[in-house]
Amino acid sequence: MAAALTRGQRSSRQNFETWAWFFMRISGVILFFLALIHMYIMHIENDVTHTTVSFVARRWANPWWKLFDWWLLVLGLLHGGNGLRTIIDDYVKKPFKRSLTKALLYVVGSGLFLLGTITVLTFK
Amino acid sequence: MSKGATVYKGKSGQWAFVLHRITGFLVFLFLLLHIVDVSTLNDPHVYNQIHQLYGNIFLRLFEVGLLFALLFHALNGLRVIMIDFWPGVIKNEKGVFNFMLSLAIVLTIIGGWFIVKPFFLGAH
Repeated sequence: MAAALTRGQRSSRQNFETWAWFFMRISGVILFFLALIHMYIMHIENDVTHTTVSFVARRWANPWWKLFDWWLLVLGLLHGGNGLRTIIDDYVKKPFKRSLTKALLYVVGSGLFLLGTITVLTFK
Repeated sequence: MSKGATVYKGKSGQWAFVLHRITGFLVFLFLLLHIVDVSTLNDPHVYNQIHQLYGNIFLRLFEVGLLFALLFHALNGLRVIMIDFWPGVIKNEKGVFNFMLSLAIVLTIIGGWFIVKPFFLGAH
């Protein structure tokens, strides 16, 4: 495949990996703030046992906090999912096992993306 | 591995790499679990019970571990970004790694105190 490309051209695989590399840096910087602020609010500013449903209701009365949490969900899943994809590529060598492990990751990842999004959207 | 290839034997960078993988993997696994537990929001009784459980001393210690994993991954991630985007800007590789690791440990001890304290004061 790579041999068919002339110099200067890139396979779509290489392009994808370059974007994945770039995405990890950008999402990493955003998650640096989102995740640490989230951890601070939920475990240090408030005690975890006080983060009840009524606590969430008061917090999510502000749509910006809903958006904040949704972005944490999306970027966390994408950043973590891509990280795990890299780990699978490194350690799962057998092609069939590798495809199977990745398929499982994508199914669980998309499923939890839907579950999380539904949770944020349907909360009353 | 081709003939004559050598195994990379790094120093602090190798440890940073290993710790970055492990902490990232653990934080991602927790995220998957966390999406599921938050999805019980529309069943307040279950949600509140789960979050009462998070106040248990074992889960509080687990949260301190999570805080360390998140802090190390976040701070080391900044170090990776510095190396990738501004090559040569870090003159003392080992020093920066030691600084990030120490900062993560110090912040974990401070934050960990706030996480564990309510259990001992019986405030939960």
